Amino acid sequence: MSQKPEGGVSELLAGALEGRFSRREVMRRAMALGLSAPIIASILAACGDDDDDDDDTGGDDAPTATQAETDDAETPEPDEDDGAGDDEDGDDEGEAPPADRPILRFGLNAGDLGNLDPHFATSTNDRTVVDMIFNALIRYKPGDSSEFEPDLATEIPEPEMEGDKQVWTFKLREGVMWHPGPQTESYELTADDVVYSLEKSANTETSAYAAEYEGMTFEKVDDYTVRIILDTPLSPLLFLPKVANYSGGFIVSQKAVEAMGSDAIKTHPVGTGPFRFQNYTPQNTIELVAWDDYFRGAPKLGGVTLRFMPDPSSRELALQSGELDVAFGLPEATWVDRINGIDGLKADVMGVGEVAFFSFDISREPLADERVRKAIAYAINRESHLALFGAPVAELVYSVVPDQLMVGGLSKEEAEEAGVAYHYDPDQARQLLEEAGAENISFELVASEFDSYRRMYEVLQAELSEIGIDVSINIVDHPTYHSLIREASNVIVIYQAFRPNPDAYFSQFFHSDSIIVTGPSPNTNFAHYDRVDDLIEQARVETDADAQIELWKQINIKILEDMAAMPILFINQVYGRSEKVDYGHELVSSLALYPQITELTTIDS
Amino acid sequence: MAKFALQRIALSIPTLLAVFTLIFIIVRVIPGDPATAALGDYASQEAVEALRERMGLNEPIYVQYFDFIGGLLRGDLGRSLITSEPVIDQIRFALPHTVELAVAAILIGLVLGIPVGIVTAIYRNTFIDYVGRVLSLAGLSFPAFYLGILLLYFFSVRWGLFPTLGAGDFSDPVKNLHHLALPAISLGLIETAYIGRMTRSVMLNVLNDDFVRTARAKGLPEWAVLVRHAFRAALIPIVSLAGIFAISLIGSSVLTEVVFSRPGLGRMMVGSIRQRDYITVQSIMVVYAVIIVFINLLTDLIYGLVDPRVRY
Amino acid sequence: MAQAQGALDSVRIVSQRERLWRTFKQNRAALVGLVMVVIIVLAALLAPLLAPHDPLAQSTINRLAPPSSEYLLGRDDYGRDIFSRIIYGARVALQVGILSVLLGGVLGTAMGAVAGFRGGWVETVIMRVIDVMLAFPDLITGLLVAAVLGPGMTNLIIAIGLTIAPRFARLSHGPTLSVKKTEFVEAARAMGARDWRLLVVHILPNIAGELLVLASLWTASAIRLEASLSFIGLGVQPPTASWGQMIRDGTIHLTQVPFYSLAPGIALLLTVLAFNLLGDGIRDVLDPRAQA
Repeated sequence: MSQKPEGGVSELLAGALEGRFSRREVMRRAMALGLSAPIIASILAACGDDDDDDDDTGGDDAPTATQAETDDAETPEPDEDDGAGDDEDGDDEGEAPPADRPILRFGLNAGDLGNLDPHFATSTNDRTVVDMIFNALIRYKPGDSSEFEPDLATEIPEPEMEGDKQVWTFKLREGVMWHPGPQTESYELTADDVVYSLEKSANTETSAYAAEYEGMTFEKVDDYTVRIILDTPLSPLLFLPKVANYSGGFIVSQKAVEAMGSDAIKTHPVGTGPFRFQNYTPQNTIELVAWDDYFRGAPKLGGVTLRFMPDPSSRELALQSGELDVAFGLPEATWVDRINGIDGLKADVMGVGEVAFFSFDISREPLADERVRKAIAYAINRESHLALFGAPVAELVYSVVPDQLMVGGLSKEEAEEAGVAYHYDPDQARQLLEEAGAENISFELVASEFDSYRRMYEVLQAELSEIGIDVSINIVDHPTYHSLIREASNVIVIYQAFRPNPDAYFSQFFHSDSIIVTGPSPNTNFAHYDRVDDLIEQARVETDADAQIELWKQINIKILEDMAAMPILFINQVYGRSEKVDYGHELVSSLALYPQITELTTIDS
Repeated sequence: MAKFALQRIALSIPTLLAVFTLIFIIVRVIPGDPATAALGDYASQEAVEALRERMGLNEPIYVQYFDFIGGLLRGDLGRSLITSEPVIDQIRFALPHTVELAVAAILIGLVLGIPVGIVTAIYRNTFIDYVGRVLSLAGLSFPAFYLGILLLYFFSVRWGLFPTLGAGDFSDPVKNLHHLALPAISLGLIETAYIGRMTRSVMLNVLNDDFVRTARAKGLPEWAVLVRHAFRAALIPIVSLAGIFAISLIGSSVLTEVVFSRPGLGRMMVGSIRQRDYITVQSIMVVYAVIIVFINLLTDLIYGLVDPRVRY
Repeated sequence: MAQAQGALDSVRIVSQRERLWRTFKQNRAALVGLVMVVIIVLAALLAPLLAPHDPLAQSTINRLAPPSSEYLLGRDDYGRDIFSRIIYGARVALQVGILSVLLGGVLGTAMGAVAGFRGGWVETVIMRVIDVMLAFPDLITGLLVAAVLGPGMTNLIIAIGLTIAPRFARLSHGPTLSVKKTEFVEAARAMGARDWRLLVVHILPNIAGELLVLASLWTASAIRLEASLSFIGLGVQPPTASWGQMIRDGTIHLTQVPFYSLAPGIALLLTVLAFNLLGDGIRDVLDPRAQA
């Protein structure tokens, strides 16, 4: 415990792993280091198997322990009842009608919704809406996705081994009520809903995340108990996200889905969350109203109106004129400064950071030659890209797995030590091109019209023209971009994404199964890279956290040595709001990519 | 007249069919894949393929075509590829806002444009004429979206006079008008330029006509010549042409709706093109076509009513 | 005799030209338009000499820098010189404007004339399609075609050209019909003269004036259309400087770097205005009735 705080992440991590620090100590020190993002969860989860007794509370799991320490707001309903006297929302019975409570107006960066079936909701905007309507067995703590806490479950269980299978048993809260749907009454959530929902998530027909639930079976024990059985054991770090309030983990209502059919739930979500879906006007608004039977207590807001406003200047103007309370911002430091300079407005910068990196297609000319790929890497000036966003909105990374956000990534020093930092060096780039005998290289790239993508492509274009590579850029809209890059339109693909752990990054971007078009289950391996499959699989089932991290680092180094991808930076989320808005929680990071709005969110009048 | 009207109406039916076919052909060539658009960036190839199947995108193209035309005959515009909601519901919501905006802009255009046109015609080749003409030319040189942005910036943000986005509900007229004001002004000013120019040229024609000369020769005062003879003669083409302006307005309203985040057909169209929701794009074009053919028909009929020579 | 007649003709033509030019010169607005067009064309041609900086040279560290003596209008999202990009933007505007009108003009005039000469079902079909296309507002047609073709300079020119073509078809159709009836043309046709020859020799001269007016006015519209489509994101591809794209990018920073969108907006406005003034002026000159 005598280490100085400057000891840094690795030391902290080592300390945690050796059990030198209690979880609480890890949390505190991590916060002091400014490591607010999911790294903390990773650290905690990475050492989750062997140090239960570190906790003062004995058998309790980590998130519950930290929860008790850091907040009283999130505790279940009994506390809410006690403390409700001073709030206008009163109690279960005598709650004020929503009309008396303020409606929060939220500006989305989208022209329209995509899909409000939580098992298909993938865009930031859809996730935003879904997050307010649905719950899961466990949840990322609102505003801080580095911590898990129970949601529909009463606690986060420890896994047990039954033969060679791993079993997770979840106890459900009682008295959780479903929103009334278009064709269903409100009713109490039971294990049937949970099993139905998880099975839906595991089915390719009814979920975009089915692959994540392969080898899992779901069993109802009684109305309030569910067992999840895994063919291959997973560490909590890899398992818990699958049952958390993100993507496939959201629990949908069996009765509502069966009554409406899987098409109708795209626009009529029925959940158990603090806000209930009321109305959707395509390309205009989604209206949510407070669900006063919410199990954590009636929301302090009367509802949330989400507006589709793809034009950033309209969002900014509406925020300034007071017609929006919260708006999706621009991921630019200049924007943050500008909004903070306006009376009554505040810009929030929060995690999770989405990593932006270039994938190089190693299977196609002219990038099949490693020297050409390295030449391009040396021609890229990370600082130029960083300047597009500016600190604190973006930070540089030296491996695709972001070292600042989770374990398994490479720090700048580690990358330099391994000789894979690829600092800007145009002379080296030209020399490599010359060695490769590559002259008059030119190719066409498709770019998304999203500013954060388009700008990086345009900077790349200018950088490559410096070393004599002629790139023409074809700008398309964002969904088209995603469609085209999956059809191998680009030899260089820019992708910006957060994945909850290194395994997700590697499996989706660098495992041969995920190779676009030709892979067995094509995903996002744009590089056509197939040289780390064994390592990825080995790391996935490695139960020793230390060894797992070491393997992940090795994979990162190998990818960089082969220059299959050039990591650049990660971009944080930026939102603007009226100062009157109080989210009801600290804003550190949010996997849902928006400053979560919960039953505790308020607007001062 | 009844026969003439029936004839015209009958003629517009094959036109509509031709337009519908043309629309279908054009829209099906739009690149991009609505299934991926719907699933977003995390979806696997299988999920995309499954959705394609469910959306009916794998049907042969002629089946899709007959479904389309058959649907139109039943008044069914299909379901959005993104939301699975009937497109007609969305159009029913959007259309009144676009019509409201167009009507308001036309009114502003007529009220401001006609006087400008008359005055510049009377004082042609004087300083007033030059100023008026240059201003009206500037007006129609102004890109609608840019004017909108400038108005937004000054009137809403700087001076806080108007809301910046959305449209008021029709049940609340005051709020509705408040929301309508800026977009209507930005379109109306451009419309003023068009109508002003047209009025000027119609007036110049009329002022040269024999009957005006005769009236002048008879020694009538100039104002009487203008009001009783010239303007009356000019009014018929001006008002009839308002129909054509209404059509051009529908076009300019697209960007205005986008800039002001106002619900409407234009914004819906731009949004659907971005989403590759070609069922919706196609349906909006169908609605535009119906509106346009209807306005043309109306203009034709009015002409026939006013000028019997047209009824051949 | 024939020679004398020819000489007489040329005298008449010359004097008519002089008269037109004189009327044109008296039309101050038209003259201003002409001067503006010339200036813009010169700016576009001489862009490399006039622009103080490379319009493509990035320096993201200096992005959105305010105006300075070296960077007169400040820098854009990528740290490029806004002033230089506006000068180069004239090239794109003129290229799109002129080429699309050329495309639309040739295509449209040919369509109208062919319909007129052929008659029968060919005429019915062509004129029907043209009526339908004319009925749709430019922006809607342009939007749809541009969406179908995808973005890019060439596609943009095609999209706008196709949008414009029907206007020219209407123009050439009428005169074709009347010329077709003249004895001279019937004789020429009997002698096997090709349609396109008749078009060039007998019809174009008849409508040359109006063609010029339409071309000028539609160049203005085409430039505006290009900006509108770029604003929606269906415009030219980067890193090419286009005014519409600059306005779009600049509006995000309207409160911070107003010149970013203001300046290209003004350039656009002036260019469109110049072509409108010019077209208007030519019309006044050619149509003395409206002028008198």
